[in-house]
Amino acid sequence: MNVYAETIVYLIMAVVSLLSVVAVYLAIVERDLIKAVIYSALQSGFYAVLYYLLMAPDIVLVYLPVAVGLIPGVLIVLISKTERWEKE
Amino acid sequence: MRRITELAVILSLVLGVSVLLVLAASILLPGIEVRQLAFFYLYTTINPWFQNYTVNSPEAVTAIVWDYRGLDTLFETSVFYLALIAGLALARGLFSETPQGSFNEKTHGLTTIVKTVTRVTAPMIIAVGASIGLHGHLTPGGGFQGGATIAVIPLVFIVVYSTLFLIARGVTSNKMLVLRSIGLLGIGFTSIAAFLIGLAIGRFAYVFQNMPKPGAVVGLPADINGALISGTLWFFNLFEMIAVAAGFTIAFIILLLAGRGGSGGR
Repeated sequence: MNVYAETIVYLIMAVVSLLSVVAVYLAIVERDLIKAVIYSALQSGFYAVLYYLLMAPDIVLVYLPVAVGLIPGVLIVLISKTERWEKE
Repeated sequence: MRRITELAVILSLVLGVSVLLVLAASILLPGIEVRQLAFFYLYTTINPWFQNYTVNSPEAVTAIVWDYRGLDTLFETSVFYLALIAGLALARGLFSETPQGSFNEKTHGLTTIVKTVTRVTAPMIIAVGASIGLHGHLTPGGGFQGGATIAVIPLVFIVVYSTLFLIARGVTSNKMLVLRSIGLLGIGFTSIAAFLIGLAIGRFAYVFQNMPKPGAVVGLPADINGALISGTLWFFNLFEMIAVAAGFTIAFIILLLAGRGGSGGR
């Protein structure tokens, strides 16, 4: 039973890390910078799940407010001071 | 279609590297003898039968950050402080462009619904941040985590209520700098607290000492009236929380208050 539980945790970790790669890809190719910031926050959320499953709750607690709250907030305000669309 | 192809290539590359890493793990993983240090930390972090070496904190990460490796964290905090000072120095000309006028509930900020929700959730976020920071020696968390959580509040208030609200409530960068300096002074005094006690009573003590050590019997109390504070750890977390929350607030004020478009949410 214990072995199955561990395997399931590793499986969730694998899926979450692949999804984070997808989020990174979307954040890079997206031309709308606001959407790119949201994809980046999504990737941070996946990383927070990974940290939690890797038994590092201290990192989760510092990663969630900084990477999902503070950085997207600051980036969105900075984008509002420049242009929203990335040029070719 | 092109995006899906690119994504498939990237994902298969990641999966391939993962397979390679799994195969290499049998050779590359460090052996059991490397983990003696971790074993020592976990064995001594709270150990009533080992009084000369214990930290009396059930949270090993905070014990390592502020006791075993306290000097590293002190320098980390000062790096953050220097970065803020550099930011203030770069933004020194911008404060003349700070928006003038008084805050008006009806014309500034987002709608009433957003404002009410913010008003309800703000005390909760501050309470959660304070509990993360002040229970840092008991549960996962610590001063930086709690301070970063509290620092979300000024950002949300700037976006939802506009910057004039913060100015009207007296949250200025100078006041935050004072608060941050109080936090840093507190960290400095906590780091030499045991040393000062040792000087006062004429016994040998180390800088950054927490619990009594062999040859240096001076130490801070592990608990007050039965409530565990783990000596210096609680004070370090408290002052670090104040310093980090005030520091992030200064950064937001620099970034958002000054210049064009500073009156956010309008």
